[in-house]
Amino acid sequence: MINDFEFVQAHDIPAALQALAGEGRIIPVAGGTNVLVNMKRAPLPADLVLDLTRVEALAPITTGRDHVRFGANVTFAQLLEWSPGGPLQELVRPMCMGFAGPLIRNLATVGGNVCDASPAADVSPVLLALDAQVELESAAEGSRVLALTDFFQGVRRTARRRDELLTGISCDRPREDERVFYYKLGKRRADAISIVSVAIRLRLEAGKVEMARIALGAVAPVAMRATDAETVLLDGALSDQTIAEAASVAAREAQPIDDFRSGGAYRRQMVETLVARGLRQIAAHRQGAPSA
Amino acid sequence: MTKRTLNFTLNGQAETLEVAPRARLLDALRVDLNLTGTKEGCGTGDCGSCTVLLDGKPVNSCMVFALQAEGRDVTTIEGVGKPRALHPIQQAMIRSGGIQCGFCTPGMVLSLKGLLDQNPKPDEDEVRRAISSNLCRCTGYSKILDAVKLLADEGTTTETTEQKPWAIGARMARGDAVDKVTGKAVYGEDVRLSRMLYGALVRSTFAHAKIRSVDVTEALNLPGVKAVVTGQDTEMGYFGYEVRDLRIFALDKVRYNGEPIAAVAATTPDIAREAASLVRVDYEELPAVFDPEAALTEGAPLVHDSLEDYEIDWETERGGNLCYKVEVTDGDLERGFAEADHIVRGVYETPVAHPGSIEPHSSTACAESSGRITIWTTTQKPFVFRSYLAQALKRPISSFRIVPTAIGGGFGGKLFPVLEPYVVLLAERAGLPVQMTLTREEEMAATMGRHPSRIEIETGVRSDGSLVAHRLRMLFNTGAYGPYGPNTAALGSLMATGPYRIPNLEITGLIAYTNTPPNGSVRCPGGPQLAFALETHLDRVARAVGMDPLELRMKNAWENGDTTCTGQVLDSVSIKECMRKAADAIGWDKPRPPGVGRGIACNWWVSGTWGTQTLIESNEDGTFRLISGCVDMGTGGMSGAIMQMAAEGLGVPIDAIQLVSGDTDTLPWDHGHGGSRMTFTIGRSAYEAARDLRQQLLTEASGHLEAPPEELVIEGYRVHVRGQEERSVPLSKICYARHKKHGGPMVGVSSILDEPPPTTKPHPIGAFPAPSFCAHAVELTVDEDTGEVRVTRYAAAHDVGKAINPIGCEGQIEGGVVMGLGLALMEELREKDGRVQNPNFADYLLLTAEDVPPIESILVEQPATEGPFGVKGVGEPPIAPPTGAVANALAELLGADVGRLPLSPEEVSSLIRTVRS
Repeated sequence: MINDFEFVQAHDIPAALQALAGEGRIIPVAGGTNVLVNMKRAPLPADLVLDLTRVEALAPITTGRDHVRFGANVTFAQLLEWSPGGPLQELVRPMCMGFAGPLIRNLATVGGNVCDASPAADVSPVLLALDAQVELESAAEGSRVLALTDFFQGVRRTARRRDELLTGISCDRPREDERVFYYKLGKRRADAISIVSVAIRLRLEAGKVEMARIALGAVAPVAMRATDAETVLLDGALSDQTIAEAASVAAREAQPIDDFRSGGAYRRQMVETLVARGLRQIAAHRQGAPSA
Repeated sequence: MTKRTLNFTLNGQAETLEVAPRARLLDALRVDLNLTGTKEGCGTGDCGSCTVLLDGKPVNSCMVFALQAEGRDVTTIEGVGKPRALHPIQQAMIRSGGIQCGFCTPGMVLSLKGLLDQNPKPDEDEVRRAISSNLCRCTGYSKILDAVKLLADEGTTTETTEQKPWAIGARMARGDAVDKVTGKAVYGEDVRLSRMLYGALVRSTFAHAKIRSVDVTEALNLPGVKAVVTGQDTEMGYFGYEVRDLRIFALDKVRYNGEPIAAVAATTPDIAREAASLVRVDYEELPAVFDPEAALTEGAPLVHDSLEDYEIDWETERGGNLCYKVEVTDGDLERGFAEADHIVRGVYETPVAHPGSIEPHSSTACAESSGRITIWTTTQKPFVFRSYLAQALKRPISSFRIVPTAIGGGFGGKLFPVLEPYVVLLAERAGLPVQMTLTREEEMAATMGRHPSRIEIETGVRSDGSLVAHRLRMLFNTGAYGPYGPNTAALGSLMATGPYRIPNLEITGLIAYTNTPPNGSVRCPGGPQLAFALETHLDRVARAVGMDPLELRMKNAWENGDTTCTGQVLDSVSIKECMRKAADAIGWDKPRPPGVGRGIACNWWVSGTWGTQTLIESNEDGTFRLISGCVDMGTGGMSGAIMQMAAEGLGVPIDAIQLVSGDTDTLPWDHGHGGSRMTFTIGRSAYEAARDLRQQLLTEASGHLEAPPEELVIEGYRVHVRGQEERSVPLSKICYARHKKHGGPMVGVSSILDEPPPTTKPHPIGAFPAPSFCAHAVELTVDEDTGEVRVTRYAAAHDVGKAINPIGCEGQIEGGVVMGLGLALMEELREKDGRVQNPNFADYLLLTAEDVPPIESILVEQPATEGPFGVKGVGEPPIAPPTGAVANALAELLGADVGRLPLSPEEVSSLIRTVRS
């Protein structure tokens, strides 16, 4: 089979939806940093490549008081330069710094990475920690909203129907008093595929954990929330003991595989290590913070 | 699939093109517009050599569909600066020495431009981050970072030097840098011939299987296919280096996953690959063996049925899966062990590592009507390749004309034919030129890597730290074929003692065949493996006797008059000075701050040699032509140190000498670029040829000036009588008169013969001419939770004999250190059932600019007794000690016994767990 497809550039969302409603195998592309890798390795199973880069409506980041929305075409370079301040920035910026390298960051988009649904995608744990919801639109059925946890269905499998366009991702904007942690463990400092990545977001009220999000990358078929570990933390103080327990529960929740990038045992152990590290950092920050 | 119109702005000009929907921006630039300054190193966004600016932002042009560029602004290297109007970034890259092979350079320049256009005064971290997607395999990034510093200092420094810029010892910019920094240099895949076809290989999908049949019918019937060749319809001979056990196609059986079975040529690369997938091979799978130790046990599946079919140059015991065995003994080992107060044992393992040149192999062939064939190819050894082709295709050596292209990194990976035989056969069969380029995946999975090793050492030491007995057994896996196996074992056996006195020895080197992809001769073959094993082991020895590792090494280090294990008497030993300087540079004697580990490691290595001939010929205008068949794989020696030595020998300005480029029809024979030989061997030859020509010039001038030649001086472009500058004649006049009236040009000639120093013991290599010595010291920290290692400081002291061009020496050291740190920390081709799991730059990791520590390169100059200026080779050795130095620093910091590379976070984490339990 040889690469033999048509190429259409959509200029607005209706045009993109109309193209997606057509017959045949359609591959939407924005940053292209996954599609073109695939095309280098084997002919694309496509009759049409639909370029979304000119759909301006997909470009902006919109920020409200308690939510933020990333247009599907937001690039990681754009996200790196973005300065929302507060815990949101503390979570997003280190992820962007560790995301591939500067060349790919200038192309790759948030929407594209979510749709690619690699279990090791760097952006996914951060979005999961922010309770992300994906917005999907189609010509036939209008729009629907899905929790990101429901959108991911397996290794590089999502709930997106073939005629649907992912238009944006809506997330919580963490309150100023929330605490966050992000760590990507890779084999080198720049441009590495993660072995494990961890995003944590916590809200404490009067010394007790009121809300907890622990999200993990590269340790399961999909980027995942460690919900049991979150439950361990809820309504309790962030003590050494609960931290250790939550970390160990998170490690049990992970379903890492052995592959040439890393052994599963190491991945699991790193989940425990990094979740504990994140929670300890958050606890220390909490203790050091001036009382309101 | 109809072509579509693309309108965009290219380098400031409106451009309209018809492109296929599948075309990438990279294809539009390289193929449709013939702008070959943009390179393809991987095609998967992992190397950065295809970087262009898209609306001012650096991006991988392999990650953009051409049609996505509609209406946008694209800048390629061709739009940055021109040879006579270089951009300041390009000028700075040339001055700093930030260019070696040059293949990554266009992309690097564009990433820097993207940064500096936005942020004219970036700090070093910002620069490192901005180029962290651009892999450089040669420079180690240091001199690229220096280029940005030069830009920042622009106008504030004035260089005041009495020295001629080309004098011996001057920091000279290499002559080929302008071509490289502007994207004009022509590499393998940049060759374009009219009506050229594209080739692809059919490769085995089994590690070990009988071939029942090969059916090419379907492939031949695919429209666009012009030729298919297989082993069945080709006259094939065995070829190789010391062992000739390879044929270009598997015939009766395949011995590794990825072995070529057939080759096809078609009108486009896509059709060629499609056709390759249509060749039907019927296999009968055979039991396979992947582990070298298992391969040498009785009853293991045999990779080769009969080794007797293969010629071997060196005497050896062989049979079964044993390809080669070398043994060296000295003194009385049992007595040595009896005298020892401690006996320290260790086992050390290193994985397959890849040369990782950013330029993949690419070769182009055109059959001439005379029956001869011309091959344009990216090769370190154009002349030797003719011999390999002659063996492989059973034809006369001189029936091949090889035109070497610029080389986008060699490191040993371009020492041996990879694509040349196939393009020859396809071009002949098709009657049209054929080009074949490896994908990154093929490059990593099926071209030769560094031999993985398992090294067992048992060392006897007295309480005072003297080494008295040493038993070392090294086993290398050569894969399915062993063209460079014997060489690796033999070199390894010479490094088995390191630069240390050990009176009682037993060294065994074994090369085993397995059903894994073949391994070859990669920069300092055997060096990093032995440096890791031996130097890590010596730290264990030091711990056993309670000595500082540096002190133990100093106590046993060679001095002048000592002999190597083969009886070579050493007369220019500098290892103690190297150790002292490297150790001092990281503050070895100062107390370790908590959490910091320090390590030291040494090595010694060969300079050259092999035969060469250099000619220097006069032009009629008083300029000269330096004619050598040696190619430059990127180090810069040919247009740097060699030219400096020629200019010194002649006594003329370097601008008066042109470096002639040519091919195997026009240039004198040379053995090629490898073995750290360029400055030592080609330099010596160039200098001697220059002295020869100088004498002829003076004789000619003597007639013009009516003074004896010994009273004449060449200065600038004139010859004058010593002390009487007014009595002079221009070189142009001398040369013109000589050319016109007295029988053409004057030619200075020097032929260098291979004469290794004497030894007392039989050994296939015996001695290292002008051995070089080095010591590296490292400081690092570890995240003890995750096992991540951070190298914070690095010093490398190398005895180069004499630094002809210090920029070049430092470039070799910095680049070698970074490659060696890669071996220490992350480089590993992972094989599973004989199949490479990570054949790409996303999972076979080279260090990026963000991973590289500051490196202090220290040039020690202890002149060699051979050759002019006392130069010693420096190309290969810097890659060896980092493995040992890093392992020792980690062992010290963690209190662990390190025994395996690479020291990935996972491996280090497991060391930490072992210590804690």
